[in-house]
Amino acid sequence: MDFNDFDIIYQEKRALIKNKDKIVAELKQNIGEKNVSTKQIDILAYTKDTSLIAMNWTMEGKIAGLPEIITWPANTSHIIEILKVANREKIPVVPYAEGSGVVGGAIPVKGGIIIDMKRFNKIIGINNKNLSVTVQTGTNGMNLERYLNSKGYTGGHIPQSLYTSSVGGWIAHRAAGQFSSKYGKIEDIILGMKLILPTGDKIKFDPMARAATGPQLDKYFIGSEGTLGIVTEATLKIWPYPEKRALISYAFPTIEDSLNATREIMREHIFPAVIRIYDADETLRHFDHIEKAKNKVMTIFVCEGNERLVDLEETITREKCEGNSGIDCGKEPVDHWFETRFKVTETSMFPPYRIVADTIEVAVMWDDASKLYHSVVEATEKVEGNLLVSAHVSHFYPNGVGFYFTFGGVPGKGKSQFDFYKECWNTIIKATLESGGSISHHHGIGINRSHWMDKEWDGGLEVMKKFKDALDPNNIFNPGKIYEKTWNGGDK
Amino acid sequence: MEELKKYKWMIPLISGAERNTRRKLLKNLRKKKDRFYPEGGFNADIKNLINCMLCPNMCRFDCNTLQAAKTEVISPAYKARIGYYLTVGKIDPSDPENKEFVDLMYKCSNCENCKIWCPFDFSVVSLLETVRDDLNEKGLMPDYCEKQIDKLKETGTIEDYNIFKTYEEKGIENIETDGNDDVFYYIGCEMMKFPKVVQANIELLKKLGIKFSTNLDKRVCCGSPALNIRDLDTITSLASKSVDLIRKSGAKLVISGCPGCVRTLTERYQKNHILEEKVEHEDEEIRGKDVTEEEEQFSRILYDEGPEVIHIVEYIERLLEEEKLMLHEVPKKYETVTIHDPCLLARNLSNTSSIRKILGHIPNLTIKEPIYNKEFTHCCGWSGTVHWADRDIAIKESENRISELKETGANIIVTACPECELGLAYGIDENEKDTIEIIDLSELLIKAI
Ligand SMILES: Cc1cc2nc3c(=O)[nH]c(=O)nc-3n(C[C@H](O)[C@H](O)[C@H](O)COP(=O)(O)OP(=O)(O)OC[C@H]3O[C@@H](n4cnc5c(N)ncnc54)[C@H](O)[C@@H]3O)c2cc1C
Ligand code: SF4
Ligand code: SF4
Repeated sequence: MDFNDFDIIYQEKRALIKNKDKIVAELKQNIGEKNVSTKQIDILAYTKDTSLIAMNWTMEGKIAGLPEIITWPANTSHIIEILKVANREKIPVVPYAEGSGVVGGAIPVKGGIIIDMKRFNKIIGINNKNLSVTVQTGTNGMNLERYLNSKGYTGGHIPQSLYTSSVGGWIAHRAAGQFSSKYGKIEDIILGMKLILPTGDKIKFDPMARAATGPQLDKYFIGSEGTLGIVTEATLKIWPYPEKRALISYAFPTIEDSLNATREIMREHIFPAVIRIYDADETLRHFDHIEKAKNKVMTIFVCEGNERLVDLEETITREKCEGNSGIDCGKEPVDHWFETRFKVTETSMFPPYRIVADTIEVAVMWDDASKLYHSVVEATEKVEGNLLVSAHVSHFYPNGVGFYFTFGGVPGKGKSQFDFYKECWNTIIKATLESGGSISHHHGIGINRSHWMDKEWDGGLEVMKKFKDALDPNNIFNPGKIYEKTWNGGDK
Repeated sequence: MEELKKYKWMIPLISGAERNTRRKLLKNLRKKKDRFYPEGGFNADIKNLINCMLCPNMCRFDCNTLQAAKTEVISPAYKARIGYYLTVGKIDPSDPENKEFVDLMYKCSNCENCKIWCPFDFSVVSLLETVRDDLNEKGLMPDYCEKQIDKLKETGTIEDYNIFKTYEEKGIENIETDGNDDVFYYIGCEMMKFPKVVQANIELLKKLGIKFSTNLDKRVCCGSPALNIRDLDTITSLASKSVDLIRKSGAKLVISGCPGCVRTLTERYQKNHILEEKVEHEDEEIRGKDVTEEEEQFSRILYDEGPEVIHIVEYIERLLEEEKLMLHEVPKKYETVTIHDPCLLARNLSNTSSIRKILGHIPNLTIKEPIYNKEFTHCCGWSGTVHWADRDIAIKESENRISELKETGANIIVTACPECELGLAYGIDENEKDTIEIIDLSELLIKAI
């Protein structure tokens, strides 16, 4: 097999490792022969994440980025040994967990060494009194949740990628689960963690209910996307497995009616675990079998927890929905959502037809929510070759929401799949910023959004770069993401 | 069809699209095969290899080989991706430098945990088997598979000697048929490695006064390893012998302690059109001639009016229900047990209740269920082809399963499959060999009779 037979998409900034044989020998010596590989079969396996465009590339025999060395550390000493060599030789390192990231976060755009975290998969223990679980960060989400369930708890963090993502990946991308309105995003769930900094130094943040011990340094590493070190262990909140679940759904005449109803619910500090508003297109796509939802906006709710509280939440949820012209559609739409929520077939269906599709999630405060929705839809519809743009509102807070847009189409004349993809992405992000939104709610920055970071953060990005320089003086940690523009000029 | 229904919402989008976009789309719909399928004949299930390779690995958390190997290479979608590349020639399977890519097609333990979660209802091993078919046709069967086929051809068993003939030295009584049996006790090759289990079953059948035979002098392997490797010629010859022997015994019921044998004799022969294929194959060669009477009979016996083939636990459950069997207390050591459900019994034969019902008849017995049990059981590592292709992964699978079973706190692991008994033993630490005991259900039962 020859990697020359595969087009490499991100190769412009790829620097080859000098004295590779010597370095590989040293790594093998230090962390064990079996924990290091340069074999083609291993390299090819780490050439992409789950960005949807990477699926089109896979179909076309292309690869996103090409690493040179793969490592599978079994303990923190192994990681420190890898970092010693990487710092000395200035070789990029990319932490890799389950590869389900969708913004290019784990793609080795500059080559280098992959550090696969899968062996960090121990569930260290549950603390029933503190309601917490401590785990190694390579632990797969579903395996953690199944373990917790078997002991009578839930982790409350149920992203659609639960089956195929890790605790480390969640922390790296500041992920959000489908039940986040009640349990919070991962930054609300995490109580403590252990990290290895780029220099190889270890730091830890002990789990603590709350503290006032200077700036919240721990928060700085949540969402750092593998650019400021490797999270090796985390302590997360857990909850007793819900005693009761109420499944509620309403169809609204317009998305505004539904936004109003949900805003009023949140205002009361009522937190249904799941709330999802589907715009008219998505209602048609997912609920065309629900007669009462024809040409309407389907909204589903799951209230769960203590039985008496759930009953109260249900009552108030219904009141607010009915007060905003909602039509009760029963529990069937929610059952349907439960049945289908992990049945992901879209990533497989489109690339063989050369259809390019993706999802983009953004956040916005309540006062701009409706404006943002309409501006994004309107702008994306104008992209040449676009076939569809739709949205659901997936995450709710007393002060705002997270929108989840889907687009798809075929590139216009003379344009590549990647051109079309970037154009749709940039259109949606631009419209989001212009509507007062934030460019990501939970998928993160990775490659796809890094060229928008200066607009999102204004002067803040410069501060971030200073932190990055201080913590990672050789700039070896996951380069090409967050602080650097990898899609040049996409925002023009 | 379900798939198409799911995407029917796209129709108005396509018809309403701008002209150039619509044209491009329709061209893409038409050209899919030209672009992405290989030329010429192939057996590989290309469409579904593509579906699987583009999936975000939604079953990865429960893939037993991946959870053992802990490398992206062993993830189900990557296996499919390599299967696709090998089929379309992006990776040349005949280049010896690509041997590891070919080997990957065999690094599966047939546990089919993937199928539980797959939105397409795939079992990855079924997809990989279609790639193996092409590899075999190109003469690229890996040497570790060839070795198994050679053994099957030479000795009719999975060992390089005829393991059935070792009955005497193992203290297993051979009972030849007189053509008038009620039950054919079908002992598998692997089961021959566990004489205590076989002895227990023979003792049980005798105590119950059942007329049965074992026919160890004439037995051959059911052919399951050849099916995994996809050598259909070898399987056909073994199948003919097995079916013939069963037929001659006159038994209307075949029982086996090996879920692999049960599945092979029933569902797998049928699904792979084993004897039918032979009939068709020869039919093609000798066009015009009639299918031999014997072959026709095989087919008929196997698929239509043949004897019922069941796992022994199902048989014992029936005996208990009919009150033909009474169970008493087991010795103290065996009072607390955990169950390792064999994948093949739990998922392929869909039987997780018999073991539990039987154990429920033992008055002083407590079952400690592991987290992953019944149809969600995890593999012992010794099924499929991975234990030939990558023994380290198989052993790690076994270690993983043992630690799940140990978590229950029980030291006695009850199972109902010789392959599992073999595999699980690899997962036990040297210093735990005296405390943890893996035992077949039949061995436990004999202590309760
Ligand atoms: C079908 C599907 C559905 C999804 N649904 C959701 C959803 O509901 N909510 C959501 O938030 N996201 C969702 N995602 C996105 C994705 O699953 C998340 O971003 C997830 O958090 C990534 O985890 P991972 O373990 O796969 O990480 P990877 O993709 O392997 O890595 C992601 C990033 O994290 C870094 N990283 C990984 N581990 C560590 C570590 N231990 N220390 C430091 N850095 C590390 C990597 O370098 C990389 O930058 C979905 C993705 C798919 C494909
Ligand atoms: S078997 Fe199914 S769930 Fe698993 S990777 Fe393939 S398509 Fe995805
Ligand atoms: S059959 Fe088992 S080992 Fe093979 S891919 Fe499926 S889950 Fe993994």
